[in-house]
Amino acid sequence: MTDTQKLVFMVLHGPDHPEHATIPFVMGCAALASDVEVVLGFQADGVELVRAGVADGIHAAGFPALANLLRDFRELGGSLLVCGPCINSRGIAATDLIEGAEVVAAGRFIAEITSATNSLVY
Amino acid sequence: MTATLTELETLTAAKVVDARGAACPGPLLEAKKGMGTVPVGSVIEIWSTDPVTKTDIGAWSAKVGHDFLGTLVADGYDRVFVLRRK
Repeated sequence: MTDTQKLVFMVLHGPDHPEHATIPFVMGCAALASDVEVVLGFQADGVELVRAGVADGIHAAGFPALANLLRDFRELGGSLLVCGPCINSRGIAATDLIEGAEVVAAGRFIAEITSATNSLVY
Repeated sequence: MTATLTELETLTAAKVVDARGAACPGPLLEAKKGMGTVPVGSVIEIWSTDPVTKTDIGAWSAKVGHDFLGTLVADGYDRVFVLRRK
């Protein structure tokens, strides 16, 4: 039996809302540093954040630059899951996404959420 | 476990992590990295200009199983001490 904890953060806001886009990365990095498994799930406008290069232009006041948080999140071993229908409807190809971002559908999100200790929506 | 101010003032940390100027969660991530560079039983000292770092590091220490020893106030920043337990 494992005592590993897991958190899922659903990210629904994109570059138009820098603070909402940044906070789940802050929380995700802090959780990873606390030995908690973390999945960031990107849906709706949130999928824009994992489009290559987009994070480079986002820096919410009072927080580290999103590009730095994204780097730290990946270095700490966090998972990035991206809603397939959401990128399709925005004309984003899987090849447009940053390395390590995995395109998934609802079934995978449900599996991650139901197996998590807790889930939060941003 | 906490240390007295006198104990903290005379303590020599195995590593000093300078996170001054970093915004949340920067000091925490730097503490995590720094902890990995010292042996179990050693103390690291985190420098931070973010006033919430001391409570954040205290909560983090309790979560992951280290001992938060306490904080000293320096010139414009806090010196936060943590003992590596695992």
